[in-house]
Amino acid sequence: MSSSPEDPPLPQPDLLAALPRLRRYARVLTGDATRADDLVQEALARAWEKRRLWAAGSDLRAWLFTVMHNVFVNQRALARHEKQHVSLDSEGEGSEAWQIPVRPMQYARVELMELMQHVGRLPTEQREVLLLAVVEELRYEEIAAVLGIPVGTVMSRLSRAREKLRAAFADGAGSSPLKVVK
Amino acid sequence: MPMNPLPVTDADVNAYVDGQLAPARAPAVEEAIARDPALAARVAELRRQNAALHDAFDTWLGEAPPPRLLAATARDPARGRWPRWLGASVAAAASLVVGLGLGWYGRDAMLQRDGTPTSFTRQAALVHALYANDKNRPVEIWAAEEQRLVRWLSRRLGFQVRAPDLNSLGFALVGGRLVAGNENPTALFVYENQENQRLTLQVRKPTSPQHETAFRYAIEDGVGVYYWLEENCTYVLSGNLDRAQLLAIGRVVYGQLATLDVSTPK
Repeated sequence: MSSSPEDPPLPQPDLLAALPRLRRYARVLTGDATRADDLVQEALARAWEKRRLWAAGSDLRAWLFTVMHNVFVNQRALARHEKQHVSLDSEGEGSEAWQIPVRPMQYARVELMELMQHVGRLPTEQREVLLLAVVEELRYEEIAAVLGIPVGTVMSRLSRAREKLRAAFADGAGSSPLKVVK
Repeated sequence: MPMNPLPVTDADVNAYVDGQLAPARAPAVEEAIARDPALAARVAELRRQNAALHDAFDTWLGEAPPPRLLAATARDPARGRWPRWLGASVAAAASLVVGLGLGWYGRDAMLQRDGTPTSFTRQAALVHALYANDKNRPVEIWAAEEQRLVRWLSRRLGFQVRAPDLNSLGFALVGGRLVAGNENPTALFVYENQENQRLTLQVRKPTSPQHETAFRYAIEDGVGVYYWLEENCTYVLSGNLDRAQLLAIGRVVYGQLATLDVSTPK
């Protein structure tokens, strides 16, 4: 159900404020900075189309995440249909997408780069739950709504993602991989 | 306190470090952590991991969105045209970002879309909305490095800028960043009070020298904008505050800056 011209517009200041977060989520989904912006553009177009479905006053960011997640899933299904061998999950390993552009606040850059490489190797499904729970700090119930999955699945994906990152670090740098460099 | 017989699960630990544990469950989990050093170490490690992930992912938020995405925040495809005010505001936002990343390419075309030039106050309100609403990274350099911030902005603007001290009004400096203004680069200082209300001060060199100091006030999409133009400098104060509050803060800022020796290269 598309919106009609009479439907009120989405609040642009809120869209602008959400934009950096949408781009970040898209980059986590696609593992590729350019494709991420294509996805955001597509998602924004869809959001305008479907704006009637947004309950004004509710969290616009979470709703935009939902819209973008659906666009991503549809695109991936289409890509799989067209090309049997495509595996978008493994493309997350492309290193460029996981670069850290500016000096991080607290941790040493090299260690965070390594962390991001490990994040890049997680399956998309675990990566996005990790981002939404840890970085966006959405509640598990909200994440379940965004992804259209049960809360229990959110929690098990989160748990697996964390365990993989922990194990990756235990294999590598030794006992205290992330040192605060204040 | 009643005993909770359920053992602490992996889900409990996750919810605990994410601050999402049901209050009824918290005492049992906290007790288990206090009793079990291995569990305590695991919690500490997950907290470190959380902080590191935040740190890493938050660096991306500082990247300027490309103009095509700024435009997509305003496009209303159902109408098939750009609403008048949205067109103007996108032009402002896009010109800012184009200015940051690519120089002035395309700026005039965007400003003249719909024949509605972007007003000075609307642009200021947009800059405010874009950065002050960003909870995690509203600024490029945080207040902890105020001297470095001021040095950097002064160098980029070509004259000495200062971040006024608004602590007496309950607003602490969060930090600042450089944004591209319509004509000249703009220094943006972000302040925040205990209620998490944010206030921004934009400072830049005017396009042409002003001959009198003028104070003006406008409301743009709910953002109050109070500004004054001086001979060599333009100041814009913005916030979701009522007019009286904003004017009171404006007077303090003006008073502080008036007592500074602002040396501007001619």
